[in-house]
Amino acid sequence: MESASKAGPGTLRGWLDEQFGDLLWQLSNFWFGMTLLGIWGFMTLLGVVIDQGKDPASYFDAYPAPLARLVLRLHLDNIYHGTAYVALIGFIIACMTLATFKRVIPARLPPLHPVKIDKVPLNATITLPGDPAGVRERVAAFFSDKGFLVRKRELGGVEWTFADQHNWARRGVLIAHLGFVIVAIGTTLYWASGYSGETAIVTGTEATIPQNGTRLKLDRFAYEFQPIRTRNGLVYQPIDYVSNLEVAPRGGAFQSRVLRVNEPLNVDGTLYYQSSYGVALSLRLTRNGKPEAGSPSAPLKEGDAFPVGATTRVIRYERFVGTIDKSGGIGPDPRPNKPGAILDVFDGEQPIGRALVPIGRDLDLGNGYRIAATGFTFFSGIQYRHDPGIPFVALGAFVLLAGLVISFHFLPARLYVRVDATAGGSQVSLAATTVKGFEIFEEQFADLVEALKLGLGLGPSSEPENAGT
Amino acid sequence: MSLDQEIILVAISAYLIGTLALLNYLLSRSELAKRIGIPCAVLGCAAQFYELVYRGTTTHIWPLTNLYGSLTLFAAMSVVIFIGFALRYDLWFMGGFVLALAAGFSAYSLTWDVGYLPAVPALQSYWIKIHVPLVISAYASFLVAFVSSLLYLIKYYGEQALAAETVQPTPAATPRAIIVGDAPNLERAAAAGNTLALWLATLPTLSKLDIITYRIVAVGLPLLSLGIITGAWWAKEAWGAYWQWDAKETAALVSWVIYLLYLHLHTRNAWRGLRCAWISAFGFLSIVFCYLGVNILISGLHSYKV
Repeated sequence: MESASKAGPGTLRGWLDEQFGDLLWQLSNFWFGMTLLGIWGFMTLLGVVIDQGKDPASYFDAYPAPLARLVLRLHLDNIYHGTAYVALIGFIIACMTLATFKRVIPARLPPLHPVKIDKVPLNATITLPGDPAGVRERVAAFFSDKGFLVRKRELGGVEWTFADQHNWARRGVLIAHLGFVIVAIGTTLYWASGYSGETAIVTGTEATIPQNGTRLKLDRFAYEFQPIRTRNGLVYQPIDYVSNLEVAPRGGAFQSRVLRVNEPLNVDGTLYYQSSYGVALSLRLTRNGKPEAGSPSAPLKEGDAFPVGATTRVIRYERFVGTIDKSGGIGPDPRPNKPGAILDVFDGEQPIGRALVPIGRDLDLGNGYRIAATGFTFFSGIQYRHDPGIPFVALGAFVLLAGLVISFHFLPARLYVRVDATAGGSQVSLAATTVKGFEIFEEQFADLVEALKLGLGLGPSSEPENAGT
Repeated sequence: MSLDQEIILVAISAYLIGTLALLNYLLSRSELAKRIGIPCAVLGCAAQFYELVYRGTTTHIWPLTNLYGSLTLFAAMSVVIFIGFALRYDLWFMGGFVLALAAGFSAYSLTWDVGYLPAVPALQSYWIKIHVPLVISAYASFLVAFVSSLLYLIKYYGEQALAAETVQPTPAATPRAIIVGDAPNLERAAAAGNTLALWLATLPTLSKLDIITYRIVAVGLPLLSLGIITGAWWAKEAWGAYWQWDAKETAALVSWVIYLLYLHLHTRNAWRGLRCAWISAFGFLSIVFCYLGVNILISGLHSYKV
């Protein structure tokens, strides 16, 4: 327990310092941090389970009304951008920082102090001829040659030699935690000034990105499927999706660009991705052979619907079928060989029928109404994202990784060595501690003792003399 | 049967023979069994690597675009990582379990072998040559750590059972006892000829098994971290966002947190040992869910089932 009471006990300042010290100590508690991490995990899981950023009505469609209201009132529909979530991440980072500076580093960098050698689990003694001062120098030189940081102190009238291995690696935790902070800065930058979205552009039409004014015109979308015979039968494997675009930044002229999966376009710092595609369907509604008002003026995307004249019925374009097989069913080939479209008919919200309508044919809807699938055209789904935090996230991730590697692969260890005079010469007593317990250093300690004996001019032995390993 | 199928059957056969031999070594410490088991392990993983290279070179299709290929690499990497650690720390006694799991995953991979399929557009990236091997190597490390934890738990509960049988009080543990792994009940029972005790005594001490697991996890976690980072970078190129809370991403993050927790808790004396062994075992279950459960059961951005 730490308390900072420079102003002295009994004074208000001293009391406040003590309370503040207590608060920081509690906030840096391991289990407190773990609890925060657990809450973060729970909130994150909620964000995975509950669709984010949807229209409020969609939650009432997906969940019972009380649950949907709860989702909306608690803003669980936008959890990752909520104040609570962002504040929690900030709080976790603050606690990690406190834990690093108040607990981890002080524990990993203990002051140089004497130990009772025989009480430390890893210990050994070596007796040899020679005066203690000379032996002490030889021991110090041995550890220096082995790459240890050697420091000498006279403590309680005894000359101690402290040999540290990988002392620098004690800061691995700090580096890893720093990585988290840098990642958080990057994600905050995106949260503060980035944007993303998706647009679907039908062939021959144009879309404008609202956030940056960039105009995208789709000249052509194409895909490639390869029929491949596998052990499970014929598979139509998608090979390529490609959009031929005309792109004009705000105030600029159109330029031809090609967009493919895994090959995003960078336009003034905003990246555009080939994310999906679909087939837009042209439909014509007639009544008694004459075009009906309310017939869709533009091709419909999958899922779009329109009313049938003045009736309560609604037609929804469900999906495109590339190949209608000989029996009139859906063929396995997704390519448009003998294309058609699945149309669902609703009366109000009640589904009353579904039909697969070949392109170029029509469907009798009753009361003189007919719906004809007159043609189709592709649309391209394009995602865009402007993320100024990316360099920070990338840097933070690698700093975090470096911290992990340093923490787990470089073992900071400290050897405590004292050399005492004996009747026949000197006795070297060694003990070792590490930041990860004793077992992990056991073999290396035994090897060091053997090497030290050789270095001091003693022959190898099958058992280290009085080794506590 | 095609050549690559014959090769994979050679690998599975080698793993099965190696399993029997190294299980025999675990039980009897027969040097002959070890001398049979080690070459079988080497042959098995060499055959699997050859099979992957054969597939890649004959079809010009990167072989890790489906579950069959990745499971093949998973089994082979598990054995490679095991061999690496066994050479360094003399862990051949664990080999029977590792090879049995490798044989099981290899056999299971055959059920996903539909033939040669070119990669779907999302997988046509150089990242697949970096991200997938890294992640699979991490999974493989955790498999080996799981086996080591399993042996820890077997030894721990075996010793507990022996302690329950004896009426003599257990002396309080001293620091020295912790280091050398003194287990008086075990030694007494072994001296009395108890078969279980005799066998448990051949295993490394609990503290050594704990350290073995720690060292393997300490290799696996950076690999998984690197795998997640490269995956995020690839996702940024392919899907426009480095993190989308896809089921696979979330499951990988959960596994990462579990192993990070393991390594953090391992620094605490009270948690080192039994509790950490359970966390490692649980961590591997999360890895299996992340790897196979998500791929097979949950539809998402990573659902490349064929």
